[in-house]
Amino acid sequence: MAVAAPRSLEPAIEAPARGPLAELTVRLFREKKLGAAGGVIFLVFLACAVFADVLAPHGANEVDLVHRFTPPSWEFPLGTDRLGRDMLSRILLGARISMIVGFVGAGLATAISILIGVVSGYLGGRIDMLTQRAVDAWMAFPDLVMLIVVVAVVGPGMPQIIVILGLLYGIAGSRIVRGAVVAVREHLYVHAAQSMGAGTPRILWRHILPNVMPVILVLFTTRIGAVILSEAGLSFLGLGIPPPAPTWGSMLSGSARTYMYIGPWLALAPGLCITLVVYSVNVLGDALRDLLDPRMRGLR
Amino acid sequence: MRKRQRRWRRAALVMALGLRTLAVAEDGQIVVSPQYGGTLNLGTVYVGLSALSFDPYDWAWKVNHDAGMVYELLFAADLDQSVSRGGRYRFQSEGWLPPDAMRGELAESWEWEDPLTLVVHLRRGVRFTGKPGVMEARELDAEDVVWSQQRTASSPKASPGYYDHIERIEARDAHTVVYRFKHFNSEWDLRSGYGYYAAILPREMATVDSRNWRNIVGTGPFLLTRFVEGSSSTYQRNPDYWDRETIGGKAYAIPFVDQVIYRTIKDAATQQTAIRTGKIDILEVVPWLAVDYLKETTPELQWTRYLGSTGEFIALRVDREPFDDVRVRRALNMAIDKREIVEHYYGGNAELFGYPMHPDFEGYYQPLEAMPPSVKELFTYDPVKAKKLLAEAGFPNGFRFKVQFAAVNYNHADLLPLIAGYLAKVGVTVEIEPMEYAAYLSAMTTKTHAEGYLLGSGVVNPVTSLRKSFRTGQIWNPSMWSDPDFDRRITDADATRDETERERKIKELNVEMLDQAPYIWLPTVYNYIAWWPWVKNYGGELRAGAVRPAPIYARIWIDLKLKKDLGF
Amino acid sequence: MRAYLLRRLLFLLPTLLFASIIVFVTVRLVPGDVVDLMMAQNDISAVRDRARIEAALGLDHPLHVQYFRWAGAALRGDLGRSLWRNTPVVDVLAERLPITFELGVLALAIALSVAIPIGVYSALRQDSWGDYVTRSFSILMLAVPGFWLGTLVMVFPSVWWRWAPELEYARFLDAPLQNLRQMIVPAIILGLSLSAVTMRMTRTMMLEVLRQDYIRTARAKGLSEQIVVARHALRNGLIPVVTLVGLQAPLLIGGAVIMEQIFVIPGMGQLLLDAVSQRDYPVVSGVFLVVGTSVLLINLLVDLSYGFLDPNVRYR
Repeated sequence: MAVAAPRSLEPAIEAPARGPLAELTVRLFREKKLGAAGGVIFLVFLACAVFADVLAPHGANEVDLVHRFTPPSWEFPLGTDRLGRDMLSRILLGARISMIVGFVGAGLATAISILIGVVSGYLGGRIDMLTQRAVDAWMAFPDLVMLIVVVAVVGPGMPQIIVILGLLYGIAGSRIVRGAVVAVREHLYVHAAQSMGAGTPRILWRHILPNVMPVILVLFTTRIGAVILSEAGLSFLGLGIPPPAPTWGSMLSGSARTYMYIGPWLALAPGLCITLVVYSVNVLGDALRDLLDPRMRGLR
Repeated sequence: MRKRQRRWRRAALVMALGLRTLAVAEDGQIVVSPQYGGTLNLGTVYVGLSALSFDPYDWAWKVNHDAGMVYELLFAADLDQSVSRGGRYRFQSEGWLPPDAMRGELAESWEWEDPLTLVVHLRRGVRFTGKPGVMEARELDAEDVVWSQQRTASSPKASPGYYDHIERIEARDAHTVVYRFKHFNSEWDLRSGYGYYAAILPREMATVDSRNWRNIVGTGPFLLTRFVEGSSSTYQRNPDYWDRETIGGKAYAIPFVDQVIYRTIKDAATQQTAIRTGKIDILEVVPWLAVDYLKETTPELQWTRYLGSTGEFIALRVDREPFDDVRVRRALNMAIDKREIVEHYYGGNAELFGYPMHPDFEGYYQPLEAMPPSVKELFTYDPVKAKKLLAEAGFPNGFRFKVQFAAVNYNHADLLPLIAGYLAKVGVTVEIEPMEYAAYLSAMTTKTHAEGYLLGSGVVNPVTSLRKSFRTGQIWNPSMWSDPDFDRRITDADATRDETERERKIKELNVEMLDQAPYIWLPTVYNYIAWWPWVKNYGGELRAGAVRPAPIYARIWIDLKLKKDLGF
Repeated sequence: MRAYLLRRLLFLLPTLLFASIIVFVTVRLVPGDVVDLMMAQNDISAVRDRARIEAALGLDHPLHVQYFRWAGAALRGDLGRSLWRNTPVVDVLAERLPITFELGVLALAIALSVAIPIGVYSALRQDSWGDYVTRSFSILMLAVPGFWLGTLVMVFPSVWWRWAPELEYARFLDAPLQNLRQMIVPAIILGLSLSAVTMRMTRTMMLEVLRQDYIRTARAKGLSEQIVVARHALRNGLIPVVTLVGLQAPLLIGGAVIMEQIFVIPGMGQLLLDAVSQRDYPVVSGVFLVVGTSVLLINLLVDLSYGFLDPNVRYR
């Protein structure tokens, strides 16, 4: 289900720092064709989001009651909705919202995961124990309660949804980062640095963080998809980004669920967009994991 | 292609069967004899909401819908006067029965001994069904009526003042109940007779947990045998039910069906699938948006539509600027093209004017055409005059205000951007603030809501509709209307015994309130009822008392052969 | 190891206690309290009447007193009564929990039966077309918004073939067929959407195991590939997979709200959603207690399973 932040199952991965981005890209296209395809799909959507203003033939909230429920045509390539708004324009501007929610939400989530995971995993001992129990307590708290409470207090809106999804996924993901950090900590070079008297921040920055970077990168990519999917799920429950914002989720919920069968164009486009974006970031993430995980190296 | 053919064959079959019935009826012979048996699966008006309570003591507004299948009341609708049986009434209002369409249910008859003494004679031979561990079957008596109504009135959740007009209730003998009034109240028949909390329970309920559905025992047409919150309530036929239905001059024992199942289905798409696949026989809430599609895919369905009993409006807080100025409030009404909303947003499935008086309130309702020009003006799109009024009020460049609405209300979520668009054209900017439902509602109850508050409010009945919305301090008064003159006159109308006189007073108040424009009055929407042709002796009636459909369902019978012929 | 387990179990209670206080307090402090809702329902506005309702519901005491009463009763197995329906919360939970449990077990079974074959296959044939196709299927199912797919399944078959899943809940023990006819479709949708994560896990573990020395030895001995995979790789690769599948359980306990709503399944998710929306405090706390406890226990199990995953991780 999209609402609950999945407690992640990704195994802890340990890896030393990888080479430059260019090399990675080349390897992606050469070795991981599916992942490369995912990357391309994702870039297309990203471009749509960035250039939505230019690409959209109409305003996303241009109401035209006379032209409501128009099937796809030259003027309205994806038809129009109940208020006569152009679906293509709404999809394009919806891409922007999804990308913002996805990137910012996943970014926030990853930052929180890093913060908690690195501190807890590296310092260990009592701090680790306490932090992990706090994480437990948080995860025991039903997400739905939290969401409704937040929405009841501050009302539904994009910033609060980003923050709450960032928190949910961030805290859940902190376990993965912690696992990776714990594994790296035991490595010799960290011990070496410690015995040479390097300060904790320096060790974290210079030795730990680069080594857990692959995990973080994978975490970040897959989280983008998860956050986008969750936001859509929230729309279904009436807790999503409020109207008239053209979100993909809201185009499939609310009164749209009653009328999206009047014309298939109303049901198909937004659903397919969500599916494609989430699919693309996931295969991309998987490919990155394969490429970055040292244990995978040399398998081919 | 084959699919389509089958569909047409089915439709043709339905038509043929319909014609047969007609032909016979022209003969003057009545062969339509009802059948017993079968299960009636229902998506009622409240299909999305499980029973909140089975005990009127809880003062849950829909207890009559759920427990009213088991418990009976003193009065109910005379369904013989329904349109589908050749009468004049549709019986769709939430909390109102036309006075001449009310009949005794548990009451055999009633009369006013003097202007403040009402004597109700109970029907004899009406029996509580009995239930192991709760009570033995026995006859209903006057003590039960007195006990039930006193108990309900004493609940901590009781609406204050609801029974203030009654001095006391007493049992004169086993079959006579006497109500002594302090003063007359026009809603006496609703509050004690067919209303939300007027159910009659056996007094043995005092000894058990009366809120547990397993314990409830009544005199009604059904017995509650199963309740799964969020899924269904199952009611079995009460084989000893006292009432009869006369069809073709012959009296039949009712209910006709073996069981009625209320299905709880929250999701609109699932509701429509349920009726399309015959998993439910009647769906009482089909939004107009889904109608064409359902008709096309399921041509056999029978249809009727009803004007919703929920008025839609944006309440403007008259205790705050700028809405303390009537010119501003009127200007906003004129700045919105309400006809366009009716025609294009609702696809013609709405009435420009259906609130605060519902067209069903015969005698109280006046159509827009009969209203004075100053009221008509509020429903006519005139942005020029709106701008002029705004300028006169000191807002030549418009202003900004916030409108709150409940995010779960999908219609409002679509409607509000549309309204904001109209208002923008006269320079008024609307800040749309969606809220979580409970937070939204409590903003109104604690009077902390914004200047604009988009609300759907039940029309209930002619007097209540105005009283609850505009009397000083009422909880459902989001415009914060407070006018001693109005308060006095609505109380006076409530206490007016003569129906014609009361109608006149209410009409007058209604015109004045419309004119004052405490709200941006918005169109009222139609809903549709769909049912399969095998559902007989039914014409889309919704309520035979305040939110109480039991007598309607008890009279429905199912043409099992037709159902089979149609492939179900 | 045993000390670690003991310490973790000791921590369980304070964690639960702490979280329960948070739940207890927040749902009561959120704008729109239950008394407001009841007052709106019955057209009540006077402060005096408000106090009367609060007293009737036991909400007239200070928060901490209310909490201690609730916690004390909870320790004796009494979770209070629903503020709206007056039914004991324990009964409500007893009714709903098996439904959610059944849906969860079905979904997990489906997830595993899809995920493991695909995971193994795509590890053996890494970056082949077969790998891409099967893996894409699994990831696509993760990517499709469940509520959209659910709605499509609910609507289109009903139009094309007049078919819809069963929509009236019956207990498995009372009417197994009716029960399954209702549960199977949402279980498939949920299960497929979960399968991607397990598939990914299986694939990673298989890739890992296939590199191990004993596999090389087995291969070198000339054993057929099938035997190598089935007897050696699979057995060793799947231990952590199976353990980690447990992690998906909380997702299923609290997370099936949307499927429940579309397919009319009266499970815990809908119960919680309704209870929070209606501000039915005791029910919210009750659901929390059940869901929270299981989440904590499952987390513990998963942490312990790290030991299987990586012997280098020491418990401290």
